[in-house]
Amino acid sequence: MTSKAYKNPGQTLLFILIALFMLSFLVIPVVKVFYVAFIDVNTGNLTLVNFLDFFNTSLFQESFFNSFYVAGMSVIVATIISLPLAYFTTRFEFKGSVIIQSLGFVPLIMPPFVGAVAMQLLFGSNGSVNLLMDEYFGFTIPFMEGLNGVIFVQSIHYFPFILINLSTSLNNIDRSMEESAQNLGSHGMRLFRRIVFPLAMPGYVAGASLVFLKVFDDLGTPLLLNVNNMLAPQAYLRISSIGIDDPMGYVIAVILVVFSLFAMWVASLALKGKDYSTVQKGGGGLAKRKMRFWEKVIAYTIVIIILLAVLSPHLGLTLLSFGSIWSYSVLPDGFTPEHYVSIFEETPEFMVNTLIYASMAATIDIILGTAIAYLVLRSKIRFRHWLDYTAMAALAVPGLVLGIGYLRTFLGMSIPFGDMPLATWWVMLVIALSIRRLPYALRACTSALHQVSRSLEEAAENLGANKTKTIYRIVVPLMSGGILAGFVTSFATAAVELSATIMLVSSESDAPLSYGIYVYMQSAAGRGAGAALGMVAVVIVATGTYFSHRIIEKGRRERSLENNS
Amino acid sequence: MPPLQTHSVGIELKNIDLSYGNTRVIKDVSLSIKQGEFFAFLGPSGCGKSTLLRLIAGFEHCQKGQVFLGDEEVSALPPWKRQVGMVFQNYALWPHMTIYKNVAFGLEERKLPKNEINQRVKDVLELVGLQDYAERRPNQLSGGQQQRVALARTLVIEPKVLLLDEPLSNLDATLRVHMRQELLELQRKLSLTTIFVTHDQEEANTTADRIAVLKDGIVQQIGAPMELYDHPDNLFVAQFLGSANVIQGTLSKQSNYTLFDDGKGMQISLQSSDIEGSKSIVLRPQNLALCEAESNTADLQGQVKIREFLGNIVRYEIQVGRQQLIVDEMYSFDNVPAETGSTVGLTINNDKIIIM
Amino acid sequence: MKITFKSLLAISIMTASLSLHAMENKLIVVTSFPKDLTKEFKSAFEKKNPGLQIEMLKKKTTAGIKYIQETASNNTSDLFWASAPDAFEVLKGDKLLAKYTSSAKGIPEKVGSYPINDPDGYYTGFAAAGYGIMWNTRYLKAKNIPVPAQWEDLTKAVYHNHVGMSAPSRSGTTHLTVEALLQGDGWDKGWAKWKEIAGNFNTVTARSFGVPDGVNSGSFGVGIVIDFFGLSSKGSGFPVDFTYPKTTALVPANIGLLNNAPHPQAAKAFIDFLLSDEGQSILLDKKIRRLPVNPETYAKAPAGFPNPFKDSSIGAAVNFDVILSKSRYNLVNSLFDVMITYRMDDLREATKAIQDAEAANGDSKMITQAKALIAAMPITEAEAADPEFAKIFKKKRKKATDKVTGRQAEVEQQWDTIVKANYAKALELANKSH
Repeated sequence: MTSKAYKNPGQTLLFILIALFMLSFLVIPVVKVFYVAFIDVNTGNLTLVNFLDFFNTSLFQESFFNSFYVAGMSVIVATIISLPLAYFTTRFEFKGSVIIQSLGFVPLIMPPFVGAVAMQLLFGSNGSVNLLMDEYFGFTIPFMEGLNGVIFVQSIHYFPFILINLSTSLNNIDRSMEESAQNLGSHGMRLFRRIVFPLAMPGYVAGASLVFLKVFDDLGTPLLLNVNNMLAPQAYLRISSIGIDDPMGYVIAVILVVFSLFAMWVASLALKGKDYSTVQKGGGGLAKRKMRFWEKVIAYTIVIIILLAVLSPHLGLTLLSFGSIWSYSVLPDGFTPEHYVSIFEETPEFMVNTLIYASMAATIDIILGTAIAYLVLRSKIRFRHWLDYTAMAALAVPGLVLGIGYLRTFLGMSIPFGDMPLATWWVMLVIALSIRRLPYALRACTSALHQVSRSLEEAAENLGANKTKTIYRIVVPLMSGGILAGFVTSFATAAVELSATIMLVSSESDAPLSYGIYVYMQSAAGRGAGAALGMVAVVIVATGTYFSHRIIEKGRRERSLENNS
Repeated sequence: MPPLQTHSVGIELKNIDLSYGNTRVIKDVSLSIKQGEFFAFLGPSGCGKSTLLRLIAGFEHCQKGQVFLGDEEVSALPPWKRQVGMVFQNYALWPHMTIYKNVAFGLEERKLPKNEINQRVKDVLELVGLQDYAERRPNQLSGGQQQRVALARTLVIEPKVLLLDEPLSNLDATLRVHMRQELLELQRKLSLTTIFVTHDQEEANTTADRIAVLKDGIVQQIGAPMELYDHPDNLFVAQFLGSANVIQGTLSKQSNYTLFDDGKGMQISLQSSDIEGSKSIVLRPQNLALCEAESNTADLQGQVKIREFLGNIVRYEIQVGRQQLIVDEMYSFDNVPAETGSTVGLTINNDKIIIM
Repeated sequence: MKITFKSLLAISIMTASLSLHAMENKLIVVTSFPKDLTKEFKSAFEKKNPGLQIEMLKKKTTAGIKYIQETASNNTSDLFWASAPDAFEVLKGDKLLAKYTSSAKGIPEKVGSYPINDPDGYYTGFAAAGYGIMWNTRYLKAKNIPVPAQWEDLTKAVYHNHVGMSAPSRSGTTHLTVEALLQGDGWDKGWAKWKEIAGNFNTVTARSFGVPDGVNSGSFGVGIVIDFFGLSSKGSGFPVDFTYPKTTALVPANIGLLNNAPHPQAAKAFIDFLLSDEGQSILLDKKIRRLPVNPETYAKAPAGFPNPFKDSSIGAAVNFDVILSKSRYNLVNSLFDVMITYRMDDLREATKAIQDAEAANGDSKMITQAKALIAAMPITEAEAADPEFAKIFKKKRKKATDKVTGRQAEVEQQWDTIVKANYAKALELANKSH
């Protein structure tokens, strides 16, 4: 049976190219790492005995439980932080919304582990807050002790994922949803519980599952807070130990990935068929009302307390970067610009490299993201959804695993036109970064393409443009807002990535900022300079985020103009 | 036994004034709607009709004026205490709840016993013919079915009045006609005071006992549909209800008649009246008739520019001097329509000319 | 732009390596040393050899070894430059090092009781370092804690929850400290002392730098650290100080030439430079503060700078047995992790209970029993020395036919069960005793 429908060879070729890319740079490296977990060290045969050991070892059971507990609690704490912020911005005409929207996203762009250092200085057992409390009230609060510390730092770092998704969800609820409930006699908390929250649930679940995944996989924060009884640190400690070829580290890596995939699957099940986006053309979100005076007072108080907590890592980092000596005291002994001077003199290459790597990675991401989104939504290729699944699965692969996978896979190969191993070529670092950040860009591109009506493309084809021309002249320009947003998200997060970077950097002149911060932070005199470098990273990324916001907002305004006319 | 009780009351709006910031949206509107009446707010988009409806439901707040439901002033009551049923333009069915849950919501909010809720939901779903759909979700229903659920959800709380915000606008043409009849039937059965917001004059004319025509936040005229058609208070009402040829000119009193002259070569003699000076006259298309160009009954002469066959009638646009006039003629198969381009005569039914 | 720049660089390197006699213009060093140290040597050496560029590849010791092992098949690095001699032993064992003996003069054979250079010539000591105790002066003053001097001091109740240390499995030098005490005091007494000290731990850090970092910022007051961490922190202005306890091993920090190094000439020149008078003097920099291996360099040292070649009390108490250390390397690390790192909370709680019981003059028999339970070892020294048993912890199967019985995870789980039960019982006894 032959179909007479027009087949597009270009799409098939694109599909194959992307599939090859994902296979070589994500699937194969990860499988190479996983393979070790299934090898019996005594015989060299394939076995599951290592997994048996994992589940029989009380330390690993405890680590598993702790990771689960910390991830779960972080979701809860992040929710507690996000709920009032999302509520104030979406339900009220509240001047503080601007502050929330701009400052609420800053935590995400803090390089991992740097935040933990700053938080230790502020909230540690002898940090500024506890020193003050001890002096004036005679007691201290163990914010940063053990698992609590991890939960504290993680929820402050990752809550924007919930805030962003929840706010979007709330904004997408048509006001008639709420009004019809009021009309039928419901109001206040009951209305929120029965109508608003269930409708915002999909967004919330999406954000919460992201927080869960990130915390579950995160290595830097527990490591810096010296919490070892969790899965990710256990994997890292075992994989990086001297001379030990214990497969348990790899077993844990497999379990981390499998469990993360499982969590993603559960979340997607929960979201299935629940696209509650009910907003009508021209109709904007829930009804916003003005706050009464005392409501304003309460709202501002809550927002300021939350923002103070949320921005404390940045505050701490600023103090550290300008401080001379900061030891067992509320504030540094003195202030000096010398750390900034020294980083700009000594290591400008870190900044240059970061800009190059992060922008290259983000460029690869949006190209792949747009292409995959297009294939998934617009082509009829049979396995097109697998591209989407595979790309998203990158979310579940810890950077460390990817880094080791790259070393294993590409070490034997040489770079084109040279005799350097492929694995230590800086381009591989860029590719690793782009794979790690692809899920963000892909989601942005997919939702952007969703908003491009198919009839707009059909109109172009009808007027004689072929597929390529249509994509180039119609689809991509219409997606540009989403693509740019994807670019900046990828750029911002790639700029502060450490876990894959640290495995792959092969020479200092090729190293990016996050690596530089890590290096500085390993010596007594380098702490201030490391913090200064951290501030540079924050500024670079914050600028990027700011522009992405501008672009997204502009796009939204343009779209709503179209709808209103 | 009717499944629903109604405690229907009348509605009274007194001197309502409503602004958004500096924009005055409702300007000193007063009207009163009788208990059991089917009332329509008719007007173009942006005229304030939906705002007025939302004001009655409690979603908008007026700066001046009062809203009465029966004898009770509700101006300060929040929406959830008004016992006013509203059907939203997009139906606003909650996608996360089944049809049953959607309908039961209002009763649950009123904390009725479970078995009573059960019974009443069953009854009202039967009333709208959806008893078999209770466990479906809104997105599994057609537009018409969703509309019925929205109606059932509102009726089940036994509202004092029923507010319908463009309820038919999301339905296709056939369904629209069918649903409006169903609505009317139901309204009559329950004798429920109903306000129907629409921009479609046909919808308003076919259903409403009385219509309030709104423009720019001002009530232009209130009256029964035919009354508005025959005696519009102003040009806007005249043009908004039905098609109309509006011609500007001057009236001058002659011996036994009044002469209308548009100053561009068109003269029409009207029945004698005392009105004089610069005026507009309104000619409904069906009050003009075609005749032979040379016929002596012809009041005017013109050329057929456009001919449209609309089924029961044939609509012509005739160029008369510098005016284009619309003329509707009944169509029957033995009647040969005039050709485009031909010159025809026009007779005017002088009794039906409306002078503004 | 970047690409062209890089490829230009690559071309110039290739042309440079074609011209025979000239020294290579590039040198790639894998090092665990902090930037403060590496940058001084880098700039001094580059100044001496114009046109040459050093790449310092900063890795944790453990990660550095992993990196060299993983990249061995296609090696791009020239030198491995790190503290712990046993890290070099691992590389040597894997045949990843090349022999090189520097012509530098004036370097004695031993520092303390430890040979400075690898007897087989695979790696060279360039500085000495010993473990000791570092403390935050503000912290101790604020909390009224006396300054510690010996390891025994750290077992006292006054230090409870104030001490930090990094896990030996994470840091080669920490391992040496653990091993030094085990060799000095004997297997059972040594471990008992470690657990007594560990009972006072505030934290066991995953990174060795986590300890000086914690003391510097005042997260905890006392840290068990290698000397240069303490000395350089002090040199950088932090309110901290450092001392060597009696039982400490002075060990050399080393540099080794890697097999198949792409730039062997430059690498050898760098080793020579490290051992030269100029290179040795850089070690005295206030942000570096390491003990030179050339006794003559101490003439330039600031007042109060420890000199192991004069002060024989430093590092002399232990006759360090490198072979023994190497044979049970991973086993000791694993034991430490099982008994201390991963059971920190249990151990701390039990220790606190015993200290409270002692303060309250509780039943001394029960307290002794509780202490014995904590000190109890899951395996004896003889068992630990059994090479067959130690193999479980180093299963690099050289050939597919190699067979080892037992798995590390299995053994660790057995230990953990014993240790956990003992700690719980000790806690119960201590609580009952008063």
